[in-house]
Amino acid sequence: MLKNAFLTLLSLAIAIVGGGGSVWYALKVQDGVGAIRIGQWTAFPDIGTPSADPYSKARVAREGVLALGRAEGLSFVAERDTGGAELKRECTYTIEGGFPTARFWTLYAADQSLGVVETGKPRLAGLQSYGVVRQPDNSVIISAGHHPMPGNWLLTDGFGRMYFVLTFYDTPIASSTGLSDVSLPHIVKVGCDA
Amino acid sequence: MRNFYAAMRRLLHAILLGLLGAGIVHIAVLLLVPEFSERDAWSRLSMASDLYRMTRLDAEAGGAPVVKSVDPLFYATACRFDLGEGMVRIKAPGHVPFWSVSVYDRSGHNVYSFNDHTATGGVLDAVVLTPAQMIDVRKDLPEDLQGAIFVEAPIEEGIFVIRAFVPDDSWKPIVSRFFEQSSCELQDF
Repeated sequence: MLKNAFLTLLSLAIAIVGGGGSVWYALKVQDGVGAIRIGQWTAFPDIGTPSADPYSKARVAREGVLALGRAEGLSFVAERDTGGAELKRECTYTIEGGFPTARFWTLYAADQSLGVVETGKPRLAGLQSYGVVRQPDNSVIISAGHHPMPGNWLLTDGFGRMYFVLTFYDTPIASSTGLSDVSLPHIVKVGCDA
Repeated sequence: MRNFYAAMRRLLHAILLGLLGAGIVHIAVLLLVPEFSERDAWSRLSMASDLYRMTRLDAEAGGAPVVKSVDPLFYATACRFDLGEGMVRIKAPGHVPFWSVSVYDRSGHNVYSFNDHTATGGVLDAVVLTPAQMIDVRKDLPEDLQGAIFVEAPIEEGIFVIRAFVPDDSWKPIVSRFFEQSSCELQDF
């Protein structure tokens, strides 16, 4: 009798802990269902729409996100450089390449919660396309790091993991057909502060 | 020995049953999270302000940001509405480099969005209403609603969000004023 009760309890414990824990884990990892990867950049074009998958819906409800609409823009998040290493706030990176068609774009360095990195200085850890210097072929070279650099400088600060968030506003790539032949800039590690 | 095997088989049976249960619980919890979340955008906004009240979403207005993941080069403001009480009209006079608008339903799904290129003369003047209210309005369109953008949304409660681009610090007061002048009102008809 006691053995039966123990086995029932064991089944229930596995069901509740396993079921709840797996949902918690699935919502925690950044790389979810419905992601589109272009180089190092990941976007969730369907997040926040009624056609999103149940995991995206749960994430939206849990985190209180109000996702950008199709007519507004599309956000890409990068968490690794071209070498496959995680982005670090203490490192210097070069973000280089062409940008797809959009009215304008913004780029900022983000912490784990995807909020902008606090620099403690008046300068924001962000750049936008109206304020960047371009190469003759219209591509853009951005240097991201702690120390001022010539050209386009994206200020970062602190230590630990970092993400780059690149958002295109009023862009044709936000509609699903435009995403197939889009190329995004590369993130190359230059060096790290010891 | 046979007793031992029988016990092991029953233990295995219990574990397999538990894993099957875990699958069911996983699906059930996943589908229930949106229903019972107290941290979704609507709940956060309702803690911050009333219906038909514009609330700044960015941290610039003081305090922590109400809703996460707002571009740091953007200001955003939101108001909650209930179409069950009537249609809602959102106006924001003035010009900023870029604004965009999204209508969300109660659970934070984006139902409709547009930007300043859609609006007449770049001025934000929009009415959100249900398809049934739209039929009524079509019969006799009031004079002052002629230039407005009509957003037909099959929802009751919802959130209206305006986002505006702040290219640099010098635009901050202008964009802030744009938001201060914005209004979110129940429209009589």
